[in-house]
Formats: sequence, C-alpha cells, structure tokens
Amino acid sequence: MNNQEDIRHLEKEIVKCARCGGCRSVCPVTIAEHRENTTARSKVRMIEAVLAGEIELTPAVQARFEKCLLCKACKTNCGSSVATDELIMEARAKLVKRNGLNPFKKMAFTAQRYRKLFDLGLKMGGVFQGLIFKSLPDGRGKIARIPLPAAGLNLRRVVPNMTSNPLRSRNPYHTKAQTPTSKGKVVFFTGCTLNYMYPEAGEAVIRILTRNGYDVLIPDDQCCCGTPAFTSGDVETGRILAEQNIKAINAQDYDYVITACSTCGTALKEEYKGLLKESPLAGEWEKLSAKVIDISDFVVKYCDLTKFGKLPLKITYHDACHLVRGMGVAAQPRQIFKAIPGLEFVEMKDADRCCGCGGTFSAVYYELARKINDAKVDNIEATGMDYAVAGCSACRMHITDGLYQRKSPVKFLHTAEIIDKAYEAGRKEGKV
Amino acid sequence: MNSNILNELRNIVGNDYVLSGKEDLIIYSNDATMFDHLPDVVVQPASRDEVAAIVKVAARNNIPVTGRGAGTCLSGGAIALKGGIVVDMARMDRIRKIDAENKFAIVEPGVITFELASQVAKQGLLYPPDPSSWKESTLGGNVAECAGGPKGVKYGITRNFVLGLEVVLPDGSVVETGNAVDGDMCGPDWTMLITGSEGTLGLITAITLRLVPASATKKTMLAIYERLEDAAKTVSVTMASGIIPTTLELMDNMAIVATEKALKIGLPVHAGGLLLIEVDGMPSTVEENAKRVSEICKECGAMEFKIAETAAEAENLWAARRGVAKAFGQIAPCKFAEDATVPRSLVPVLVEKSMEMAKKYNIPILICGHAGDGNMHPTILFDKRDKDAEARAEKALDEVHIVTLELGGTLSGEHGIGFAKAPYLRAEMGPVGYKMGQDVKSVVDPANTMNPGKMFNYEGALH
Repeated sequence: MNNQEDIRHLEKEIVKCARCGGCRSVCPVTIAEHRENTTARSKVRMIEAVLAGEIELTPAVQARFEKCLLCKACKTNCGSSVATDELIMEARAKLVKRNGLNPFKKMAFTAQRYRKLFDLGLKMGGVFQGLIFKSLPDGRGKIARIPLPAAGLNLRRVVPNMTSNPLRSRNPYHTKAQTPTSKGKVVFFTGCTLNYMYPEAGEAVIRILTRNGYDVLIPDDQCCCGTPAFTSGDVETGRILAEQNIKAINAQDYDYVITACSTCGTALKEEYKGLLKESPLAGEWEKLSAKVIDISDFVVKYCDLTKFGKLPLKITYHDACHLVRGMGVAAQPRQIFKAIPGLEFVEMKDADRCCGCGGTFSAVYYELARKINDAKVDNIEATGMDYAVAGCSACRMHITDGLYQRKSPVKFLHTAEIIDKAYEAGRKEGKV
Repeated sequence: MNSNILNELRNIVGNDYVLSGKEDLIIYSNDATMFDHLPDVVVQPASRDEVAAIVKVAARNNIPVTGRGAGTCLSGGAIALKGGIVVDMARMDRIRKIDAENKFAIVEPGVITFELASQVAKQGLLYPPDPSSWKESTLGGNVAECAGGPKGVKYGITRNFVLGLEVVLPDGSVVETGNAVDGDMCGPDWTMLITGSEGTLGLITAITLRLVPASATKKTMLAIYERLEDAAKTVSVTMASGIIPTTLELMDNMAIVATEKALKIGLPVHAGGLLLIEVDGMPSTVEENAKRVSEICKECGAMEFKIAETAAEAENLWAARRGVAKAFGQIAPCKFAEDATVPRSLVPVLVEKSMEMAKKYNIPILICGHAGDGNMHPTILFDKRDKDAEARAEKALDEVHIVTLELGGTLSGEHGIGFAKAPYLRAEMGPVGYKMGQDVKSVVDPANTMNPGKMFNYEGALH
C-alpha cells in the first residue's frame, strides 16, 4: 500500500521546516533522551521521506510519532512557525488508520462513545477501586496492588482517588448566583478529571462563579472532550464526542463556557476545528469557540479582585502546556496571585516546561514521563514553597505522583482552589 | 550493514544505543543543511572507551565514521556522505570540571554550549563563543567546526578558547593534546590542528576550555537605519575608531521582518537595517564607549538610537539577533547560510555586492552577521522544489564565494567547510596549502575513514 497520497496535504507544513534543530532545546522528550528521533525536526523528516516514497507509514514511524507529549513547545519556539502539533496529530490519525490503535486505548475510546456506560464505569471505578488499588495513608491518592501495564499502571505510580460521587452528580444542573442580581449565565464544562477525580476543585470553580454573580449551568449530557482519543489518532471517536459536547452546550442559553481543565479548554476552543472540517456542526462550533474561557482568565476579566482576603500560603506555579500554549493564559493567574493579600508566590525555573504527563503518554511511557517530571519536581522544590499550583488536573495527577515518589512535603492545589480560598478568607473578613 | 558488525557495536554500547532501522537512518541523514545521505548505523556511546572501541571496529572493517553533536551544522559536517557509522555524542554530556581559580573547564563533547555558559556564569566567569544555535549545539561540534558567534568581535571564536583535547584517532588510539595551562607551547599545536578539522582527523572525546572573567558591566544598544549601507558604514567607522565592542551585529530588512514574524517583539519592520551593539568592561569605560558609539551611529545616519535600560530589554534585543538563524524559514525553507568573512573595513562593500547579487539572480538574499569582525551571513533563500530558483541560488552562492575571496576574505568565519563549501577550499588556500591539507589528512587517516568526502577529500569539481 502506498501512503503518499494520504498525507500529501501535510506537505505545506513540512516544507517550512528549515532543519535548524531549534526544537532540540525545548522538547522535553529530547532533553530527557538525547535522541534526534524524538525531535519535531525528525517527524518532519519522516513525513518528507514518506512523501518521497523512501519509507511507508510503518509501525516504526508510528512509534516515533507516539512518543510526543503534544506540549506544543516546539511549535511555539519554531522560527519557521511549523504547526508541529497539527502535523503530529494528522500523521497519528493516518498511522492509526493504517496500523491500528493500541488495544487498550481502542477499548477505552470506544467506551467513551457510550456516555452513560462510560459514566457508570467510572462511578463503579470509584466504588471498586479498592480491589485494585490501596490508598496511601496521607490521602494523596492510591497505588496499584498489582501492575497493570496495559492500563499504564506501574506498581509505584500514584493515581488519584476516584470518587463514587462525581462533581456532576453532587451538583445540580443550575446553581444560582449568590448575589441579589445575576450578571449572566455560564456553562461549566467540567471535563473528566474534575468530574471523577478532583470534584473539590470543580466545586471551587462553581463557588467562584456564583460568588461573583454568575448563574452556573452544568449540562448533564456533556462528555469527555475527546482529547485522549483524537490526539491518539482516533479521530472518529474524537468527532463523535466533539459533536455531543457542542450539542449539549449549545442547547443552553449562556454567555460564556468556563473550563478549569486547559486540555478541555484547548479542545473546545481550538482543536475541534480540525475534527469538524466535514461536520454539519462546524458552524455551531464557531459560536461556542468564541465563548470558551479558562477560569483564571474569567476571574481577571469579569470577577472582583478586590474581594480577596488574606491567604498566607507559599506557592509556586506551573504553566500547564494547554493553558500557556493552547489557550494563551499565563499572565492571568500571576495577576491573581499578586492581588491576594499575604500570598507568597515564587516563580520556578522553566515554569512552562511540560510536566511529562501528556495524558496517555504517561501511561504508555511511564518511566520516561517520570524522568521528565522529576526535573519539574526539582524546580518546584528549589523554590522552597509549600504548594505547587496549576490550572490542569492531568498535571496535578502526574506532579502529585512525582512529589510522592520522593516523599516531598510539597502539596498541590488547582488555581481555582487558591482563588476560592482567597474569596472565602475575604468573606470572613467581611469583604462581601 | 552486516549483522556481525552490528552485534559488535551492540556489545560495545548496548542494544538501546545502536539504531539501524530505516526510519532512524533517515532521521540521522541530515544536519541543518538541505542535504542528506543515509548512514548505515547510528551509535550513541557514553564514554571515551566506547568511542575508541567503535572506531576500532570501523578501522578493522574499513567503515566510514562521522561524528555528530546536535546536528546543527550549516556546512554538512554531520552528514554521513559515504554512509557507515554516525557516532552521536549527545550522551557524553558531563561538565567534568569548572576550575574558577585557574579559569578553565573540562567538558565532554555532548555538553550543550548554553549549558556550559550558564554554569560558568554562576561562578562569575564567561565562556564567550555563542553561536546562534548555542541552546542546541554541542561543544564537541563547536570545536570540530570552530564555531563563532556575536561575541567573537571582542573575545574571538572557539579556537581562542580551546586549551586541550582528548581525541580518538582513526585507528582507535587516544591522544591527549595541550593541557589546562594557558601557556603550553611544546612543539606544534596539535590542539589547533584538530580544532576546525571537522571530524576528518578523529573524534573529540574531551575538551579543556579557557574561561575569562565576566565583565563588570555592559550596555546593549540598538541603532536603526533607513539604509542598510549606512548601518554597514557604521561598522567600519566604529572599528576604525579604536572601540572594541563585545558585539556588533547587523541585520537587514528581510532579517528584521522574518524575525519579527517569528518572535513578535516589536522590531522596526520598516527599517532598512539595524545594528545591535554591546560594549562591556569597567563602568567608566562602558559609559564612555557607549557615548562614542551613539555619536558614530548618528554621524553615519541612524534614524534612531536606543540603549537598553533593563536586563529584560537587553535580552529582547539579543533574542532578536539570535532569532534570525531560526526565522529564515519564514521566507523560504531552504538556505545557503554563508559565513563569508572579509576585512572589517570592507563590510560595506560585501553588503553592497550581496544586494546587487540578489537583484542579478532574482533570489532573496538575507543579510545579517557578526559585522564587527567582518563575519557576514549573506543567506541565499529558496525552495528546493523550485528547480529554477535552486539553480539561481547556486549561481548566487558561487558569486558570494568568489567576491569574498576577491575582497581578501575567507569562505568560512565559523560554519565550517564540510562539503557545502569544499569546492572553493583550494581557491582559498592555494594549491600548495590545499596539498598540505591532503597530506596531513593522509598521514593521520591513511584509510580515509573519518568523515570522508569533505574538506580536503572532496570528490567533486574544484574551483
């Protein structure tokens, strides 16, 4: 089978690559492994070779395309503006079409298409997780009792507790503004990690919004944003999930769509575009896309930064890839931290370097993901702060594991939890 | 490559560090030039002894060996022109020693230039050579190619900092040249023979580098011109005035526009040219020199002159200059990135001639460079899918080389000869000098296994 025609349209991106090798200094995988075959330059080179008929879209090519965190650092730093992320996702889709998907991923993504079944499965996971996992005594999460390599579970890896009572089950569809008059209605797109693993952070988001005068709508028929599927090359599942979310959200009467998971936010705001090229919902997506906003960005733009009370915590901040490079949010959380009285904030080195999670990447390449994360944890610890903060629950999961592995006393909080705590302190001080 | 040899290599470095799949060979087939050639195998050693063992296997089987650092070479140095073994030095990345008192460092070849510069800066020291690719490039590659950089005008290029080397010779034996003592002068300087030899005489496995004290203070300035020619004139006037800036960098309009497109930092996109100037030293000298530089810029016709007030502002100006090397692609994907170097007083002539050539061959030529030491980068841009443009680019390239030599200049200030510039090497060195190069090579590497087909062993037509 000849694959050239299948990827001919990628030529417009690959011809831009000047082969300068600048991606070597920013790629977390290259930095960890010292291998040219992990760089963005090498991926461009492989596509070029496929187009020239020198190689086919072989499983070896696929393996090299899979070993990428999609952190977008190469794209942001590319002097020639090669859209490396799109190139990698498109190539993965073609490679999956030709060589198939890893069976575990295939099963997981297929299950996601059946929203209610998926929901039930994860809720049951919350009930039965004790069979597979044992809890850590400090409540930080769980580790596997038996290794499950197919599911990306290494014996030493700490994963968060799954809740049997997810965010969307414990909160009503409509939570009214706490103020006498409502400033508007916002849809809260919870995403899976806040829903099933970190519902407390999700509740912090709801309180921030209602405290500042917004009605919060949580449509029950929203589902996974689709990122794990479409970034793995399962475009079909990605499209089905995207369409379901667009329908669920656009059925509401809303002013904004709030995300507190930057991966979901980037998908809703940017990445659905590529998935929906031939979808009848492309127009609907454009309406939605313009309204998607991350919680920290929303707080800076539409909430009251003078109502924060004294919060004497010592924090450092990690820029999640999808937040800083996907949604362009970096200044906003820092502006918020500055506005919180008593909060001590110290920048870490390489704050915007990927933590090594990369979603399914950390399941497939756990030890490599650990190595990348160890550098992040070094930088966190070097600040001497008590808390690491980020606006992403996938980063949270991976960094928490990294902190646990070395028994670090540093704890983790979502940006929304910091904001919520500061508002709560403000309320106690009478700043209402 | 036959499986016995592959197994021998695996026994030396371990299975994980021998890459022989077609996919990886393609990935390792090019450096930062547009050329490529497939190696037969890529090996990633972790120590000198592993490098020596690999080279012995190669010598026994008469297999070509090409060293590779970060693959950022601009003259084809890291391309395995005759196939064989590519030795990727990236794993040998330890800084073995920084001796602040005696001001030297000992490093392995895979250490990234920027990493060393950052580490010595923590101790109040400076490692000056700073090629644009310094965040990626390795010191082994820098020494092999004799890299330069913006600081070259005051401090010199890589060769001015190499005190000693440990080199695996083509038969697998190991030689140590020079030492950490700055004044070592026992016999001919073998260290300098290897520096800039581009992997044609052996593989560097350790480097002793001279460090200098970091200057007390510095000032970074930006002068903006309507006409590129005026910027070029400022360069020769400044250098003639007796001031030695740390940096005197020139960018033409195309370079400014491309960089602005990539970095979006507010560069003057309508300017014909700009100069980035830095002076360093004791505070009183720096003040005085900065004042004098600003006067010269204005006399030569600068529309605007700025002094960076903060470290962040200075860093932005630097980001602009370093950004050029990676922003070429904004104009066209392929480039002949030349490093034609002429006497400082003739920089304006080279700039004018390059502008004429762009018109004559109807091809974009971006002009930037380390103007202060005459090391210019007329960069010819094209898309290799357009065969006509490629042919015009090749003609322009020929003319750049010829003009440079006519001006009494040199083909390469820092990028190396490789095979991209090898056709012109005899014209630069003269027939006797060229023969001497061939003779030296044939004594050190009689079987011609080290980076064959390059420099003095180029097999194409010579100018």
